[in-house]
Amino acid sequence: MKDIHITGAAMTPFGRHPGVLAPELAQRAILRAMDDAGAQPRDIQAIYCANVLGGMILGQVVVRDLGFGGIPVYNVENACASGATAVHLARHAMLADQYDSVLVFGIEQLTQLGGGTIPLQRNDHKTELYAKAGMVLPAVYAMRGTRFLHERDATPADLAAVAVKNRYTGTLNEYAQQRSEVTVDEVLGSRMIADPLTLLQCCPSQVDGAAAVVLSTRRPTGKAVKVLSSVVQSGIRERADDDILDAEITARAARHAYEQAGLSPQDVDVAELHDAFTIAELLYYEALGLADHGDAVALLRSGDTRIGGRIPVNPSGGLLAKGHPLGATGVAQMVEITWQLQGRAGQRQVEGAKVGLTQCTGGGIAGVDHAASSVHLLGV
Amino acid sequence: VSITSHSLWSPGPEPALLASRDRSSGDIVFPPIPDASPLAPLHEPISIAPEGVVYSWSVIHPNPKIGQQPYALGYVDLRGPLRIFGRIEGRPAIGARCRARPDESFGYVFEITSQGEDA
Repeated sequence: MKDIHITGAAMTPFGRHPGVLAPELAQRAILRAMDDAGAQPRDIQAIYCANVLGGMILGQVVVRDLGFGGIPVYNVENACASGATAVHLARHAMLADQYDSVLVFGIEQLTQLGGGTIPLQRNDHKTELYAKAGMVLPAVYAMRGTRFLHERDATPADLAAVAVKNRYTGTLNEYAQQRSEVTVDEVLGSRMIADPLTLLQCCPSQVDGAAAVVLSTRRPTGKAVKVLSSVVQSGIRERADDDILDAEITARAARHAYEQAGLSPQDVDVAELHDAFTIAELLYYEALGLADHGDAVALLRSGDTRIGGRIPVNPSGGLLAKGHPLGATGVAQMVEITWQLQGRAGQRQVEGAKVGLTQCTGGGIAGVDHAASSVHLLGV
Repeated sequence: VSITSHSLWSPGPEPALLASRDRSSGDIVFPPIPDASPLAPLHEPISIAPEGVVYSWSVIHPNPKIGQQPYALGYVDLRGPLRIFGRIEGRPAIGARCRARPDESFGYVFEITSQGEDA
């Protein structure tokens, strides 16, 4: 199988960008990624645009004035996993010898929605019924949190400790939206959103951002980051005896990703995972094999997932601090891991990282664990 | 998409929730597959007793600016076996017993009938 490299990686700061149009935001990330890759528009043969709520043919609008000519532009939507799915599809096309070099970008402007939780889809009887009853994303994770505290030797302070860790690393990242250090007491004392999740345990919902990567089959000069594996999986219809702490879809995606790369969880030096809510990070420690079943809290308490620990998780600040502009998130995770593997992550650098993992899940769709989950392994 | 309380409940003095059973796998599907669905021939209609046990729950606290009161919701295990999501009236707790009843707004809600393990 041929090697696919990330030859350029860039993102905008995540945050509120008043007065900036979505195409302008995306163009900033694209131009920086192209510059990072040393690429010209003529070098790119296809473009993948990940976005969830921006409307039709956003990709074509974004690149219209950038001189790419009439090359294919694919618009990709897979909820919060859209960006990762776009990279996955681009890699497929390159492995099938369709393209040598492609541009993948993700863009989202959630500030345009006016705040509040992201509404779930209401396009069949089950989604309509559950949405009407109040199935929102914080509820999906909050019910997991309630069950986690019930089953495990864990306290609300353990959930809060995830926010403390990731919001600290967010202070080290100039691209993060929220850059204030917080204490466990502050996290637990912030406004309750969905028991047991307080405001500081939820990723900000008012955020805009874009991220872009250039992928190429040609080995770049300098420290080449390879895509070692790329997996997208979909949710299986829920059953009466499902364990909602299992994150089955992510565990399945991770198994495939490790197999594809010929690696194991012990080989991962740094991870960016989908901590949209604090409980998610704990569940994904286990789903990704970073902790054994039942050991997520012990791993967190050990300090091994902090920068300087055995397996730093979310050195960027994660979704909790960096922000979660849906379509951009999966690509931004790869930007962060690329920078980490190339030693370009500044104050939040994980020293000596050779293998990095990204994971994001999309759509707490009614009737399945999640609609989509994607795991990528990158390496130098 | 239109969901009404009428389409979720069997008629009669002892109302039961309607569901569908996948004829090949035996899995129970809720809400019931509509008659007009292309999947209808693959399922048979069944009734589910409305008594259940809370599997997990949360109380949602809407932004105070909206003025909406907090509300409880959760997953409830019914004897189908079937786990469904819905609004909960009363103090929710894992293991609490509850009973579904028809509701105009949501199709059904669960009323807590006895407290559970984490009450």
